[in-house]
Amino acid sequence: MVIGRRWFWLIPLGLLPVPLLLNPYQQYVLNTALLYVPVGIGFNLVVGNLGLLAFSNVAYFGLGAYTSGIMMATLGAPWWLTIVPAAIVGGLAGSLASIPALRGVRLFYLAIMTLAFGELMRWTYIRWESLTGGSMGMAVPTAHLFGWALDSDARKFFVFLALVVVIVIGTDKLLRSRFGRAFQAIKDNEVAAAAMGIPTDRYIVLAFAWGGAVVGIGGAMFAISVGHLSPASFDMTELILQFAIIMVGGLGSLMGSIIGAVIITIAPQVFISFPGFAELVFGLLIILVILFLPRGLASLVARVHPMFVERYYRG
Amino acid sequence: MMLLSLLPQLVVSGISTGMLYALIALSMTVVYRATTVVNFGHGDMVAAGAYASFVFGVGFGLPFLVAMALALAVLFLGGFAVQRFLMQPIIAAPHLSLAMMALAVGYTLRGGMRLEWGNETINLPRPYPQDVYMLGDVVITTDDLVICGFVILLLAALFVLLQVTPLGKVIQATFQSQRGAALVGINVPAFHAAMWGGGAALGAIGGIMLAMITPLTPDLGQWTLVQGFAAMTLGGFGSLGGAVAGGILLGVTEKLLGFYVNTMFIEITGYLVPIIVLLLRPQGLFGRRTIVRV
Repeated sequence: MVIGRRWFWLIPLGLLPVPLLLNPYQQYVLNTALLYVPVGIGFNLVVGNLGLLAFSNVAYFGLGAYTSGIMMATLGAPWWLTIVPAAIVGGLAGSLASIPALRGVRLFYLAIMTLAFGELMRWTYIRWESLTGGSMGMAVPTAHLFGWALDSDARKFFVFLALVVVIVIGTDKLLRSRFGRAFQAIKDNEVAAAAMGIPTDRYIVLAFAWGGAVVGIGGAMFAISVGHLSPASFDMTELILQFAIIMVGGLGSLMGSIIGAVIITIAPQVFISFPGFAELVFGLLIILVILFLPRGLASLVARVHPMFVERYYRG
Repeated sequence: MMLLSLLPQLVVSGISTGMLYALIALSMTVVYRATTVVNFGHGDMVAAGAYASFVFGVGFGLPFLVAMALALAVLFLGGFAVQRFLMQPIIAAPHLSLAMMALAVGYTLRGGMRLEWGNETINLPRPYPQDVYMLGDVVITTDDLVICGFVILLLAALFVLLQVTPLGKVIQATFQSQRGAALVGINVPAFHAAMWGGGAALGAIGGIMLAMITPLTPDLGQWTLVQGFAAMTLGGFGSLGGAVAGGILLGVTEKLLGFYVNTMFIEITGYLVPIIVLLLRPQGLFGRRTIVRV
């Protein structure tokens, strides 16, 4: 029996009345979970679907956040107008990070370069004080959406939810098209993919750019959600958080990115967090997942019903 | 010319810093050559070595050399256990999982260190007096002498180990071909674990010396990892001699760029070097070309 995937629409619809039930803090946590969905999706696209070790996700995230924050603070732009620039800047940074991949840099070499790129960006936020406020950070003004002030977490929630739905559907379509199948082919065997006539270079740039753009939007959401940007938000601890999202959720799985984002952002709220605790817990979590559940939580969900199995052909 | 007269001084202090980079890059190369896995958690093992030495030396009040020996033993066992119980079970998995596992181990270590010592800045007391010697116009500190002397001694010991001893033959055989080594009766998994232990202990020496000249924080590992990578890529990934040459070159470059161009280069040379080297000359200065091309 085929249950249509349109049932998935029930999930965002069911979330709509949720702000009525939550106090502001819980709402803030839920917003954070939502904004990490695009971050996880973009990261997973490159690492999970394309299979390239690119560790520069935090750089796109930070660039998106700072693009949005700086446009609002110095140009006085309303927030909605900064979403597209944040996506463009994130996408450009993604394309930039794909250049070494096109030059044949793979595996650990690519990981090292992208790691260095991410750290270089963090150093830039610290040093470019006139724009970013340096290590003290910068305040992000109240966000506006077509004149409607997003001054409460509940209001932000609806906007975030809409953005996340658009991004999830868009990425789902991308993965189910010939693009997604090309990513899969490149991941499985790049030489064979090229031999079959797939222009691998083009697809690699596309995946990086799409991933960077989506993460950049996540950054713009982050900027207004926390209201204050500082370079410390984009350090290696942030990288382990984003790693934990895709590893625990499930590599190469769109659903995994969503599950991971929700679990990894909500779980640490349960226990009081000391400095270092997040790194310790996420590190252990990733170790356990790699050892015992290599396809992540998404593989557990997929066992429940065939509807949850992700396929890269139309069906 | 005033600026040029400082050149020997910069080179000397660059070499001294570079020796530490060289040691860390070397310890990463040993693990990489032996197991073809890059240990992304290596920086945190280096930091863990420094903290272990702090615990034994300052916490328990043991003499420096005893504390150092104990710290090295702990790190050797730790590295051995990580390879044996965490890496070996997934050794057939894609590179991605191996890299993630190493990274996760590093993060777990760093989290533990931050939980315990996150709020304090620790300086390892030097076991030798701090003096300054003048060689012409060049100032040489005891730090420089001890670091250079110790690293050169270690390199010589490593060279003898690799070239002369029977154990060195085993190591070289496994470096060349794992399958071949297994065929002639070398226990390759045990060897891998031992090399992870050895790499961790070697890195810990670097961490201990680093903690004597700079403040020790849990974030030391992150910085060490990037500098080690920079030195490795500069010298050529997987080449032992290249790691040493790359480390020294990196130290000197950092000092020269920092003085003659802009002080900010002291902070970012380590980030720029791997990017530039991998784009322009991926095999590094002394490495062989092994990068996959499609």
